[in-house]
Amino acid sequence: MPGLARHDLDALRLKIAALEKRPLLAEGAAMLAQRLGQAANDKGETADPLELLAAPNGLLHEVFADEQRQSAAALGFTFGLARQLLTTQRQAVLYLQLMGESQELGLPYGAGLTQFGIDPARLVIGRIDNMTELLWAMEEAIACRAVAGVIADLASHPKALDFTVSRRLSLRAAAAGTSAFLVRYGRGREASAAKLRWRISPAMSGEVPFDPRAPGIPRFQVEIEKGRLGDKTQRAEGKTMLVDWTENGFVSVEPRRRTATAVQRTAPPSRPVAAPLGHRLSQAG
Amino acid sequence: MRLAAVDAVAAKANLISGQNLSDARALVPELEVREIDRVYLEQVFADFADWHSNASPIVAVHTATAPYGDLILDITGVSHLFGGEQRMLELLVSRLRGLGFTVSGAIADTVGAAWALAHFATGSIVPSGETEAALAPLPIVGLRLEEAQVAGLNQMGLKSIGQLYGRDRRALQARFGETLILRLDQALGRIEERITPRLPIAEYYAERRFAEPIGYMDDVLMTARDLAIQLGLRLQAEGVGAQTFHLLLYRVDHKVMNLTINAGRATRDPNHIAQLFVHRSERLEGEYDAGFGIDMIRLAASSLAQVQSTQLGAFEVADGAQDLDRLYDRMTSRLGPLALTRSKFVNTHIPERAAKLEPVIAQTEDDPEALPDPELRRPLRLLPSPEPINVMAEVPHGPPMRIIWRRIAYRILKASGPERIEAEWWRSGKNLEVLERPERGSKKRDPRDDPKTDKPKPKEPEHVSTLAAFDPLTTVRDYYIIEDDGGRRFWIFRIGLYGAAEAPRWFLHGFFA
Repeated sequence: MPGLARHDLDALRLKIAALEKRPLLAEGAAMLAQRLGQAANDKGETADPLELLAAPNGLLHEVFADEQRQSAAALGFTFGLARQLLTTQRQAVLYLQLMGESQELGLPYGAGLTQFGIDPARLVIGRIDNMTELLWAMEEAIACRAVAGVIADLASHPKALDFTVSRRLSLRAAAAGTSAFLVRYGRGREASAAKLRWRISPAMSGEVPFDPRAPGIPRFQVEIEKGRLGDKTQRAEGKTMLVDWTENGFVSVEPRRRTATAVQRTAPPSRPVAAPLGHRLSQAG
Repeated sequence: MRLAAVDAVAAKANLISGQNLSDARALVPELEVREIDRVYLEQVFADFADWHSNASPIVAVHTATAPYGDLILDITGVSHLFGGEQRMLELLVSRLRGLGFTVSGAIADTVGAAWALAHFATGSIVPSGETEAALAPLPIVGLRLEEAQVAGLNQMGLKSIGQLYGRDRRALQARFGETLILRLDQALGRIEERITPRLPIAEYYAERRFAEPIGYMDDVLMTARDLAIQLGLRLQAEGVGAQTFHLLLYRVDHKVMNLTINAGRATRDPNHIAQLFVHRSERLEGEYDAGFGIDMIRLAASSLAQVQSTQLGAFEVADGAQDLDRLYDRMTSRLGPLALTRSKFVNTHIPERAAKLEPVIAQTEDDPEALPDPELRRPLRLLPSPEPINVMAEVPHGPPMRIIWRRIAYRILKASGPERIEAEWWRSGKNLEVLERPERGSKKRDPRDDPKTDKPKPKEPEHVSTLAAFDPLTTVRDYYIIEDDGGRRFWIFRIGLYGAAEAPRWFLHGFFA
């Protein structure tokens, strides 16, 4: 029976993973595989890329943007992923940056964070002198069980960040159940032990009701470059999707009907109009 | 130029300090002279004073007569540890003589009396109440007076301190100034004289002396751990915890190293304290130098606060706040106190002032009125300093059609705005700091991933820029949210109005996701 054989195979994999002293890593993968299995029961079918957006904790992600000027899209998407990991036990998100790169990339701005469901008081911004210290800080934060996610925003391509280091981060993340995100820029890809790699680029936003000229809510083009969480996710590699970030999380947008937003949302009119009129207009929408 | 100090050989040649250099040269033509480095001497003497805190917690440098050279120890309640005042004085003086210094010392009730005795009757110990008699035969100079005062008194035939005792105070004050009376009273203990200890006085501390000096950092850290256990028990008995811990390392060659750590909330957990010192020591790099060894280590606690030792309520949710505090403590002890920050809102409309960064271990109360208006769209990332852009607009006061930022042109398809933010007229100060155009050609390979390069660190602009001065024509800002054909969303603003004397300028301030 093929189903039984697969079950045995999974059990064997878990056993090997346990022998290799990375039980939680295997567990995280198994959890996701099970969840994805429920979504697409037929084993021949590939996983829905949207399911991957709700990846379990304890994984190392890489989020790539092609250029540094797309830094806000990459960070916004990462915050979207990290926000789903917040629980009552894990309330903090750490954002780490190298000293001196803040003018290059910009710093997370408190008033803009609330839009991403992250309490600015819970986001700790670390600005660190050099890469060695940053990696130490990352490992230290990953090991803490009260941290939901650690985000490292790196404008440069440091030599210190090689495969060994990423493997180390990945194992640490799996052991403590804290997710780690490496936000990187550029088209080059280095060998990495990250389980998931996303390529993010900003996309033209949808229409805002009553103001066709105003920029709408955040919209990203997401490509899954790597999804090593099992056969199904592996088959989803190379898939591209268009998602909006709304107050309720990521919402998929049909590429053909790009103009229609997935969720109705009122936005303040952009033209300087009298305040009561503007208020009525937004209520009508 | 005068001689400030002479060594033994020079003294034999009848040279004295205070002599004219030309006179001295005339007497001894082969005289070797070096210029005195007072700043260095002051520093060395200050180190030297710190080291003496292994004898008594209150040590000060006496600066009333000279910036260095006189050391005062308050030995109240300490001398019995050394086997009496006599033996303590002998020990302190002899250990300095052993290091090759010329030392004289005395013990008396007051700072002034001790000073006079140390300078003019070395080695004497005056029991309490006999100060007046002990000072009487000493010369007037022992009162720490100015040269003119001493000369005047000598002219009057007043050579010893005892001759002043019965005199009319008013006449003395009128003739020689207020300071004479002040110094006399201080010496006799009629007026209190305060000394300022160089090291903070800690109520709780634990210390260990070594028979043989130690040198390795590992040994120091192990001792710190032992001391933390001792100190933790004492703090527990009192029901308190501390936020600041000082580890003082006393070197054999009279220097003290001070390692300080700060915890986010008051603690007395020895493991935590010891770990913070381990991280702090990693940040030392080359600073740590044990010299000829360390013969005493003291761990002192300050910034005390009450700490509950009882169990928390049965329905308390384990939200990991304690774990987080400890994580931040560990990270700041290694990365520095300003490395970890969080946003705090400030009640203002000026965007770069509305959220400031505050160190996680020194949190202050949130201002509920400062929470940002949720209706206003604010960017996800803000540039610490706005960068200038070139703008082509369709109509003078409308949103731009094309912008050029960092030498790349963007075609703007969508825009909303303006949101006008006025300057705060009730503040005055400098204008908003904006970034000048960077020199792209001179950019080299980034040295940042290599920690060993000794290049200067890139200057970090402050997150909160300086304030904009109130000038209605130049500091009104009109903010626009724009989106280009690639979906990139920017937050830009215009300073100034069209038609004003100065042309309006455009800046890029942030990015929307």
